[in-house]
Amino acid sequence: MTASENSAGVTKDTVSPLLVQNLSKNYGAIEAVRNASFNLNKGEVFGLLGPNGAGKTSIISCIVTLEKPTSGSIFVGGFDVQKNPREAKRNVGFVPQEIINHGYFNVEEILSFQSGYFGLLHNRERTDYILHELRLYEHRHKKVKQLSGGMKRRLLIAKALVHSPQLLLLDEPTAGVDIELREQLWQFVKKLKAEGVTVLLTTHYLEEAEQLCDRVGLIDKGEIKMVESTQFLIDKFTGRSVRVKFRNVVAPRDFELRTGETVGDLINKEKLDVNQIEDINISEGTLEDAFRRVIYQ
Amino acid sequence: MSSNVQSEKFRGSNVKGQADLFLGPFYSLLRKEVMRFLKVSMQTILTPMVSSLLYLLIFGVSLGAYIQMKGGISYLEFLIPGLVMMGCLNNAFQNSSSSIIIAKFSGDLEDLKVAPISYTQIILAVALGGLVRGVVVGTITYVVGAIFCYFKADTVIAIHHPLWLLVFIVLGGLSFSLLGLAAAFWAKSFDQMAAVNSFILLPLMYLGGVFFSIDNLHPFWQSIARANPLIYFINGVRYGILGVSDVTPEHACVVALVTLVLMYWLAFRTLARASFLRW
Ligand SMILES: Nc1ncnc2c1ncn2[C@@H]1O[C@H](COP(=O)(O)OP(=O)(O)O)[C@@H](O)[C@H]1O
Ligand SMILES: [Mg+2]
Repeated sequence: MTASENSAGVTKDTVSPLLVQNLSKNYGAIEAVRNASFNLNKGEVFGLLGPNGAGKTSIISCIVTLEKPTSGSIFVGGFDVQKNPREAKRNVGFVPQEIINHGYFNVEEILSFQSGYFGLLHNRERTDYILHELRLYEHRHKKVKQLSGGMKRRLLIAKALVHSPQLLLLDEPTAGVDIELREQLWQFVKKLKAEGVTVLLTTHYLEEAEQLCDRVGLIDKGEIKMVESTQFLIDKFTGRSVRVKFRNVVAPRDFELRTGETVGDLINKEKLDVNQIEDINISEGTLEDAFRRVIYQ
Repeated sequence: MSSNVQSEKFRGSNVKGQADLFLGPFYSLLRKEVMRFLKVSMQTILTPMVSSLLYLLIFGVSLGAYIQMKGGISYLEFLIPGLVMMGCLNNAFQNSSSSIIIAKFSGDLEDLKVAPISYTQIILAVALGGLVRGVVVGTITYVVGAIFCYFKADTVIAIHHPLWLLVFIVLGGLSFSLLGLAAAFWAKSFDQMAAVNSFILLPLMYLGGVFFSIDNLHPFWQSIARANPLIYFINGVRYGILGVSDVTPEHACVVALVTLVLMYWLAFRTLARASFLRW
């Protein structure tokens, strides 16, 4: 079966790396995901951004078939993950949120098994490359319990990359990770993007989405509220805030600058007396502001 | 362009066309199953050896001196094939069940679900892994028993029908490995797994004719005993080694085959409904 026979997610000549359509997932009475739809473009980094319990892991679990959707469908590279799981999964790399233990096996053995699961029995060249890339090569004879927290997380990423997947799913890759490793992981994701890998990452760190993602889907209480380019979200929903301190007045006044507005515009608009102004303080908008506006408006 | 090719190579290429989704996952998982029990061979091989030695000492020597079996064989001789098969079946079961329970606990069972592996591949690899351990333990038990018998009773335990022996070892090892797999995928906790062990496996084992011949039982208990598939596996192996048994090898073989098919069906059904999520 070729990809084009599975028509969903196929537009003209490009096949969507990931297409999620009207996905709902209930756990008993809990509605973890409600009618979520989004589509990834080839080669982009897409962020699912939302607070804890928003339903991010549930969506990822449905993509990798660890959970069965209550309704809706998911296509990876044009293949329905329910109907054609093996074809869909062979091009996906998955980094789970929680560390996985492997008991008796060392890093090298774990990667060798993992390669085999994807049909690659002679994959030494690739696994060695990944071990070097993630700075695990010197630790390749250690068991998981002998690795530091950061190394464990890098091992999870190494496992997800043995088969050179076209789509990489990262579930909260930097949760509970120190600043240095976070920076390294961000660099690594940028490198993968440069290699043409499509990345879906979930995060509740706004800064992470801002740094890495081309587009962001804002999710809260199981619903995707908005899918937009990161820059658009920042431009549209954040204003620069301006704090003006007047002479002889103790309390400063706060104003907001809309996109394209200058401080001069503000002074004219608000008819402020320039001679009375003692100090002006401008702070730039962040994705955090956008997030607040969309989710808590 | 050429730099592109170079960086592709440097990245450690793995051309998709080389991927063998048929043999790759199966072979890899089988290798993992076998390596796992070899890494803990203290528990998985040495312990069963010690326990069969204890059985030989207690039942074969101290108690067995007072028991005479039909066909002129000593109780010690009678006991050895039963111990061989009990070791084989028990270890086949323990191998697949503990491998899966541990994988559920540590989370690497999720790796199997996320990878492009079919249920059939998982079942075949895990079942064969269990069989390998069953054969290793069975062989060791036989060697220990034969040496023991030689020095204690001056008897050589030769294998009378090696092909029948092989048939029953393979059918039995696979069946119990599959049962272990089904039980472990079904279990939602350590307690449930322990319950299968003590309420299903152990009674089947101890009432399976390792220690007694059903001919010595009251007809009522005989008919009960015949409902236990273990009787056929153990008597099959006894026929393979000693050339005597309570049931004919053909009869035993049919029961063994039917059991294997049932166990495969049970394993497949359980797997298809099972959650691979970690505990
Ligand atoms: N296996 C489960 N059983 C019951 N409820 C669950 C299960 N997994 C997740 N949930 C619930 O579903 C909701 C979404 O969880 P999750 O997808 O893990 O969110 P996130 O990854 O965004 O933090 C939460 O309310 C969580 O408690
Ligand atoms: Mg989560």
